[in-house]
Amino acid sequence: MTPDALPGFRPAPLLGSLAFATLAMTAISMAVGYAPLPLGQAVTDLLAGQKSLPALVLYELRLPRALLGALVGFSLGMAGAAMQGLLRNPLAEPGVIGISSAAAFGAVLVFYSGLSASLALALPLGGIAGALVATVILFILLGRGASTTTLILAGVALNSFAGAATALALNLAPNPYAALEIVFWLMGSLADRSMNHVALALPLMLTGWLLLASTAPALDALSLGEDTATSLGFDLGWLRARLIGGAALAVGSAVAVTGAIGFVGLVVPHLLRPLVGHRPGRLLIASGFGGAILVLAADIGVRLMPIRPELKLGVVTALIGAPFLFALVQRLRREAL
Amino acid sequence: MIFALVLRHLRRAGLIIVALSGAAMSAALAVERPARIVSLNLCTDELVLRLADPARIASVTWLSQDPRNANMADVARRIPANHGLAEEVLGFKPDLVVAGTYTTRATVSLLGRVGVGVREFGVPRNLAEMKAQITEMADLLGEPARGQALLAGIEQRLEALVARRVDRPLRAIVLRPSGFTVGRGSLVDEILTRAGLVNIAAELGVESYGQIALETVALGGAEILILNETPDGPPSLAHEILHHPVVDRLGDRLKLVALPSRLWTCAGPSVLDAIELLVRAVEEKR
Amino acid sequence: MAITASGITVSLGGKPILRDVDAQIRPGEVLGLIGPNGAGKTTLLRVLAALLAPERGGVDYDGASVRQLGRSALARRIAFLTQGGEGPAALSVETLVGLGRLPHRRPFAEADDADRQAVAQALALCDVAGFAGRAVGTLSGGERRRVLLARALAVEAPYLLADEPLAGLDPQHQLDTLQLLRRISGDGTGVVVVLHDLALAARFCDRLLLLDHGRKIADGLPVEVLDDVRLAQIFGIHALRGVHAGEPFLLPWRTLDNGKTAS
Repeated sequence: MTPDALPGFRPAPLLGSLAFATLAMTAISMAVGYAPLPLGQAVTDLLAGQKSLPALVLYELRLPRALLGALVGFSLGMAGAAMQGLLRNPLAEPGVIGISSAAAFGAVLVFYSGLSASLALALPLGGIAGALVATVILFILLGRGASTTTLILAGVALNSFAGAATALALNLAPNPYAALEIVFWLMGSLADRSMNHVALALPLMLTGWLLLASTAPALDALSLGEDTATSLGFDLGWLRARLIGGAALAVGSAVAVTGAIGFVGLVVPHLLRPLVGHRPGRLLIASGFGGAILVLAADIGVRLMPIRPELKLGVVTALIGAPFLFALVQRLRREAL
Repeated sequence: MIFALVLRHLRRAGLIIVALSGAAMSAALAVERPARIVSLNLCTDELVLRLADPARIASVTWLSQDPRNANMADVARRIPANHGLAEEVLGFKPDLVVAGTYTTRATVSLLGRVGVGVREFGVPRNLAEMKAQITEMADLLGEPARGQALLAGIEQRLEALVARRVDRPLRAIVLRPSGFTVGRGSLVDEILTRAGLVNIAAELGVESYGQIALETVALGGAEILILNETPDGPPSLAHEILHHPVVDRLGDRLKLVALPSRLWTCAGPSVLDAIELLVRAVEEKR
Repeated sequence: MAITASGITVSLGGKPILRDVDAQIRPGEVLGLIGPNGAGKTTLLRVLAALLAPERGGVDYDGASVRQLGRSALARRIAFLTQGGEGPAALSVETLVGLGRLPHRRPFAEADDADRQAVAQALALCDVAGFAGRAVGTLSGGERRRVLLARALAVEAPYLLADEPLAGLDPQHQLDTLQLLRRISGDGTGVVVVLHDLALAARFCDRLLLLDHGRKIADGLPVEVLDDVRLAQIFGIHALRGVHAGEPFLLPWRTLDNGKTAS
């Protein structure tokens, strides 16, 4: 429970340490892999512009995997915090409430129809479209701070529908391998990603982050209720547009390149909330870094585990996140009584 | 008393049914020159198409009609297609059904239960097994002569190709969809060896078919990278990995060979096309 | 300087809530909005705070319309306190009250001295300074209401609009709050409060605006607005009147059998 006297919050040290930890994890992620890579030599070669084999493996395989882990984790963490601020419920999270699976469906439609072969940008745009539709539906259903039960039920409905639609699309896809690839789309993976994926997703994710970050003061005001927030000078319509749009951009482009990785946006904001004095605005960027750290840690774990074929990333985050969700639901029910 | 009598009758009736179906089955299997052949597997399709007259083939699988996946697509297109379902098979009234050992178990057992015998052919693990399979199929189809001719052609081409080999074998690795590779104890492994290549995956201890990380492909010291794919196929994540930028970059320092899967998926003379492609690649590399 | 509302008409789902209501809020004055349940008091307050746009009629703020002023300028002019509500439980009192400074702060700027001073003053005025570091959820209902009032005071706006600020408060704090409102109005703030308690409204407000069924019935000094006829017709009660230490007071005494039934 919340302590009676709360420590003062100093943003700089917290964000600073989180940012540093993110960089450290990214570096560690680049050092982990399946074949022995002389990392030092690879780095020097790369920086010197030398096209040696270690430099090639570092740039084309290790770097995109580490970068995407950080970028996707940042997007999922931040979007989770944003959704919780928008729907005013600590259980709101892109995976739990169905936004990630809807994004996966959008990406699947674009990918297997061959659309993204002609226009690469179509892939993240497909994911964003899926995420946008889901977020708007959720907001219409739940908008003004809905109860936890309603939220979870809406999430179950969206997840089931999007999952089934994805499976259908994969079965109807022209390529026979497609039906087997559902595990990637619904459980996510960072394996065999390339710098192309990074280039594709980064600008859109960045736009999403900026939109979300801009809502920080408004989110703080929103915790006092809609009328009070409006009286403090915030345009609620524009706030909702930025939250919905920003989350869709961040989650949609992330899922389009790595599949749906769940629970990141649930666990991280919850852990960091006490450290930011429970202010929803401050939680946004902190959750971004926290999400990056979590995803990178999970991905490092997946590569170090002696399980072959490689465990899907979403499996690891679900193993951590689902029990967490149960505990959270229990706590909320107890508090409500 | 009556009960015992009824039981005796039933047993006798049962025995008769079993005997009859047994006779029917062996009758099906014992047909000298089957005239209504149904094949339920891509690889048995190819052998049947090569060894029997189209007039005697009642049906082959739909997969064989796609030239991207199959080597005898032109011939196959003129023959009714099946999707491996028991009902379809019965509709063709076959006197011989051939399938692979991996063909849907439910379908095969159902056909067995209604008295349609199914002859199964496994995946050959080396060239010797492949040749034995061709002989077995030829006998089954009542075309031993054509079988002999096919084998003779294969032997001839093989000798010619092996003769072109130079001393040092080159190091090679195969990359298949979904990051799979080919290891020890498989037909492809022997093909690589015959073409004068050392299979790096076999060195690393991969058995038959297993996954390999792109990192390992890049750092394994290969001189030839064989990309095994279905060209111009519709998109899938499995094929995406074959177009990863690192593969492209590797093309600067080693020889990339695109080898369509259909050449060595099934036992048959196309395997020789694969060997020839590889031998030519080795020559170009030098 | 004044907030002037003219011809305000509002309907909700076809039902008329306010019909052609005029009002004026002057600085340095406490205006009480009174009337029976469902009279439209909260709706009128929200229209005055620019939280709700009327179908007909409009509000201008010192001569400027909402659109001319802009949202941020308006936020610095008007502080609004909602009815009910307890505030997010996990925030500290100081942080919550600090949110009242948002209209004065540039979007991502940190709190400056002026902010800190305003917060400290607001905390002191509402007698919650002792709770500054505590989480809001650990306070009692009345204490939380005072914290929310402090948040509104922290805005240091020239106009304060409060919807039933006395609900849930014990008698001491009710009187404290009203005295506080009088004090800030004495310093020049224009205060509008929705009140249910007629005795307190008559005593502490400079002017009263009486609404019934969405119409303005009367607007003026408490003694003028709350005459016996109106008390009987609109509220269905009879009140005792008296004077104490030179100040007139009003005390609802009994319901009237043949008076208006509760609306």
